Amino acid sequence: MSPSFGRGAMTNSWSDLKNSEVFLIAGSNCAENHPIAMKWINRAKEKGAKIIVVDPRFTRTAAKADIFAQIRPGTDIAYLGAIINYILNQKLYDEKYVLNYTNALLKISKDYKLDDGIFSGYNEKTRKYATTSWAYQLGPDNKPLKAESLEDPDCVFAKLKVHYSRYTFATAENISGIPAAKIKEIAEVFCQGKPGSILYALGMTQHTTGVQGIRAYAIIQLLLGNIGKAGGGINALRGEPNVQGSTDMANLVSNLPGYLPYPINTDKTLQDYLVRNGSFYEKHLVALLKAWYGANATKENDYGFNYLPKTNPSVNATMVKIFEMMNKGQFKLLFNVGSNSLVSIPDRKLVRSGLAKLDMLVVSDLFEIETAQFWREPGVNPADIKTEVIMFPAAFVYEKAGSMSNSSRWIQWKEAAIKPLGESKPDLDLLDHLFKKIRKLYEGSTDVKDAPILKARWDYGEGEPSALKVLQELSGYDETTGKLLPTIGDYLKAPIGTASTGCWIYAGVTGNGNLAARRKNDDPTGLGLFREWSFAWPGNVRILYNRASCDEAGRPVDAKRQLIWWDSAAKVWAGNDGADVVDKTKGPDTPEGKQSFRMNPEGVGRLFAATYMSGLPVAPPTDGLPPIGIRPGGLCVDGPLPEYYEPTESPSTNILHPKVSISPVALVVSTQLGKSEEYPHVLTTYGVVEHFCAGGITRNIPWLNEIMPEPFAEISKNLGEKIGVKEGDMVEVASARGKITVRALVTDRLQTYKVNGKDTETIGMPWSWGFASLSPGPSTNDLTIAALDPGAGTPEYKVCLVNIRRA
Amino acid sequence: MTKKMVFVDTSKCTGCKACSVACKEWNELPAEKTQLLTSYQTQKNFTTNTWTYMTFIEKYENQTMNWLMRKAQCFHCADPACLKACSSAAITQTESGYVVINQDKCIGCGYCVENCPFGVPKVDPIKKKSSKCTGCIDRVENNLLPACVQTCQPGALAFGERDAILAQAKKRLAEVQKTHPKAQLYGEKEMGGLTYLYLLLDSPEVYGLPANPTVPLSLTLWKDVVRPVGSVAVGGAAAAVVLGVFANLWRGNYKEGGKD
Amino acid sequence: MDVSRRNFLKLSGLSIAALAAGLGFDPAVAEAKGYVLKLEGSKKIPSICHFCSGGCGMLLYVKDGKLIHLEGDPDHPTNEGTLCPKAASLLSVANSPDRVIRPRRRAPGANHWEDISWEEALDIVAKKTKEVRDASWKAADEIVNAKTGLPESFLVNRAEGIAFLGSAEVDNEESYLISKFSRLIGTPYNEHQARI
Repeated sequence: MSPSFGRGAMTNSWSDLKNSEVFLIAGSNCAENHPIAMKWINRAKEKGAKIIVVDPRFTRTAAKADIFAQIRPGTDIAYLGAIINYILNQKLYDEKYVLNYTNALLKISKDYKLDDGIFSGYNEKTRKYATTSWAYQLGPDNKPLKAESLEDPDCVFAKLKVHYSRYTFATAENISGIPAAKIKEIAEVFCQGKPGSILYALGMTQHTTGVQGIRAYAIIQLLLGNIGKAGGGINALRGEPNVQGSTDMANLVSNLPGYLPYPINTDKTLQDYLVRNGSFYEKHLVALLKAWYGANATKENDYGFNYLPKTNPSVNATMVKIFEMMNKGQFKLLFNVGSNSLVSIPDRKLVRSGLAKLDMLVVSDLFEIETAQFWREPGVNPADIKTEVIMFPAAFVYEKAGSMSNSSRWIQWKEAAIKPLGESKPDLDLLDHLFKKIRKLYEGSTDVKDAPILKARWDYGEGEPSALKVLQELSGYDETTGKLLPTIGDYLKAPIGTASTGCWIYAGVTGNGNLAARRKNDDPTGLGLFREWSFAWPGNVRILYNRASCDEAGRPVDAKRQLIWWDSAAKVWAGNDGADVVDKTKGPDTPEGKQSFRMNPEGVGRLFAATYMSGLPVAPPTDGLPPIGIRPGGLCVDGPLPEYYEPTESPSTNILHPKVSISPVALVVSTQLGKSEEYPHVLTTYGVVEHFCAGGITRNIPWLNEIMPEPFAEISKNLGEKIGVKEGDMVEVASARGKITVRALVTDRLQTYKVNGKDTETIGMPWSWGFASLSPGPSTNDLTIAALDPGAGTPEYKVCLVNIRRA
Repeated sequence: MTKKMVFVDTSKCTGCKACSVACKEWNELPAEKTQLLTSYQTQKNFTTNTWTYMTFIEKYENQTMNWLMRKAQCFHCADPACLKACSSAAITQTESGYVVINQDKCIGCGYCVENCPFGVPKVDPIKKKSSKCTGCIDRVENNLLPACVQTCQPGALAFGERDAILAQAKKRLAEVQKTHPKAQLYGEKEMGGLTYLYLLLDSPEVYGLPANPTVPLSLTLWKDVVRPVGSVAVGGAAAAVVLGVFANLWRGNYKEGGKD
Repeated sequence: MDVSRRNFLKLSGLSIAALAAGLGFDPAVAEAKGYVLKLEGSKKIPSICHFCSGGCGMLLYVKDGKLIHLEGDPDHPTNEGTLCPKAASLLSVANSPDRVIRPRRRAPGANHWEDISWEEALDIVAKKTKEVRDASWKAADEIVNAKTGLPESFLVNRAEGIAFLGSAEVDNEESYLISKFSRLIGTPYNEHQARI
């Protein structure tokens, strides 16, 4: 999403789903994994909205659909490419929107090409792309050249047309197993309903081409003019209660809080960092450094930029890779707070062997999750495991004060309702006490390496730390007065170095009282905006990119769903929602007022994810230093346009380019790979409504174990007959990496389908079980493959090859 | 209190089973050991600790899957066989339409179990008490929604005044029939009218429900013919014996509800 | 648990008994002494669900410091009082006998846990953090300058031996402190399940 729109977040909100006319739910089984979605989808349906569900299985979401298509797992880009092709050929795109709010007219470098499945710039040795040829043709002002019309062969729109001309309905059918007529029907129904909403979740991201699948959605929604509008959007249904917040806070190796790019080893100074990333980040990084080092972050010491640990960009240390590094002996100490990797990581023996190589594992959780007791998993001899384990008892959500950010980007505050059970404490206390103890151990050190600890600002109260104080740090202070900055506007106006915020996109959340705690649920427009309920980042905007809901003159294009408008009398962007514009006082006749996607360097939505840094000076800087631009466009490391590649383990070769069957830049961590001769069936994995993720909590709740007591394998009746298995029998499912035995559900909800004319079977298995808890069961991640999306590091949980037999 | 009704719109149900959990939470019923039975169904029948559960039926016709999900619980009949059968006057009907078992009066004779055409009440063999869905009468009487209705996210359950809910259900049926021609209401007339009215997507038999549930004739005879005569003389225990005779005699009338 | 159930049954029994005795059903009677809610005398405290990213509102009924019931917050604009099965079951976490309720340590090679105090646990972890940090400290990366062909030293300040897996299941404030804590002690190796 970020390479297309500038922000990696669900564009609309839960309650906004009721405004849609059509839904494409593909890569999400929301009735099971985001049940609340169905409340609002059912409301839209009552008003006549159509529901399209594309899924490898007929799910509980599919049961409510008007159109259902069974797809071979991991082949989404093939049928989405066919839909893009159809939209372009049939001229079903919103031409005004495409011209004004996307980069369709911008000219792409003559060096850009796609040749037999490989984009220009590929380095076979490093298996990486150089992205220079994915750039725009720049004018003398360093701005992209704009074509006269969409017919110009150099423009993005033309590139799109050529690229997707190969994606016919017939080709898409051969790849995905969805009949061509059904794909056409999906295309027709989705293009007819405006506004149309796309919902996805892990079904779309858990592939080696996950990011590109979302890019395909972005292209469709930009072409149809569905972004920035009530009832439209791409609704990324985030997986966990605070996954929006935890990515905002950057528990990620690639970012600092507020989506600031992470500093790398060659960034000797703040200046170097800005050369790479653009001046846009200067204010936000300095504000973060002020929040972290307080008065010790000064202009003279580069605001403490060199206190930060820098990454080595040639080392990929994303989640699964961390376990690979652990297996190589790099880590001696692992903190593990609120996750259960021994159940949740693909090819999970990597986790077991990795944890055994640690000196110490520190776990904080509610229950004794599998990860905490990896040393006594059945089959493991505890005496052989030298890892010391310390487990802290964590407080549960309602036993502590704090806020979480939901998928709608609502930062919602809650107070503690009851005391933590026994001696359990919030993780806030753990972190606070631990940091203070560590700092004490370093007290008096003059070693330069210890300065970041000793110079840090860490003041959340004596005894029990205050969550509100932490949220106030996120909200931001005027460092010259020590007072809270009232709004994000005040933060943005403050000169660099005078303001602090731990996460700039949360600026202002507690500036005028704790806005995250607001509980006014009025909805005067009936659009479900609820602007006085909690606080949505950025700046309480409820529907992102809502400038695009207006025409060029700033008038709402949908009279029934008016979000914002230019009030020419008051000379301000006014409306029912907060305006997502550069400057509320800059009208539609100004360059700022035209920007529909202000977080992108071009100010428009990116159909083509081009390499581009805005604001590069025309003349070289007089100080001899490299020039600093303003803001770079988000890039996809695997190509500027989504291209179809087979999953890492696949029953078929890629019919578009057999020589480059799988993504040439995918990261394969698993060492045992299966071939279709030995493992002929496709396994896809997922959650069920009755359990949550790795089951660390839900498998300890008897009422939930009662309604979903065990894992299972769903297979078609054809496959059941073939292997002599009927419903309720036990089956052994095996991949190149492991095998497990579970109960079989033999069902019509999965059908045999054809891939390039060959009969193919999908087997479905939920993954939420492990050896511990009140309801232990085999872990499906014994079977899955650790093969990662090269950009996001997301593993291909949704596809691997397996065989199955009666147990 | 006026007559109430709960509308169970299976066209909106997603089979999430929240109703079942909310029921257990509110009524403090412990979880039972289960396994997958068929499709995503794990609870086979009513028990003394399971008053509502989700049934799943997979029907694949003309290359189209119909995954039929239905919340099962006591229908709270207007003409309840259990009430008629009760030997100890423990079962009563509220003005709002709920059929409730007074645990203090219940002697666990099991006649309600024998005579319910839907197989709803169950007797705990140790405590010797019969139990079933109370309709969350305690919540309803205090202006709260029944726990199952309160929790339902997809909006498949609606509670309200009988007439209003019935009208809503009929309107909804007309809408649903456009895409599901076999859709029908169940409970408007059955057993004198059910408090839990269903919109089914297929015939009742497909869901394992009796098409024409009836009060066993034995009961009608007992309640309306025999007892008025002997009510003064016959005490609870003796009445139970007499009733038992009739019940056995007329067992052919008894139909097992639900799905085995 | 048993107590409130009995209470409920007894109280509901009362009015039903009244009905059965032929008094007829009088809503006034029900209100006065009939179906008394077990919630009476409890405090209602709103909170947020801890499962998917819906952020549904929950209402907690707390009596004498104990959670006695939980249901959807009817004022919450997203869920309007409804809850999915997972959220509807969350009463049981508050009182679960299976929760870990004090810190514990598993010694190297041991086959069991031993309970320890918070103070002890924090001391062990703090000391270990210092030990690993100091031993695995990497002050600089050596990188060959493409232009000169010579290695160049770049300050990196990394504690190579420490990783921190944070969480999408803790509050923003905790998630932020995980981020800050990791980078202050010198590890950029801070990841979590959002990635997967």
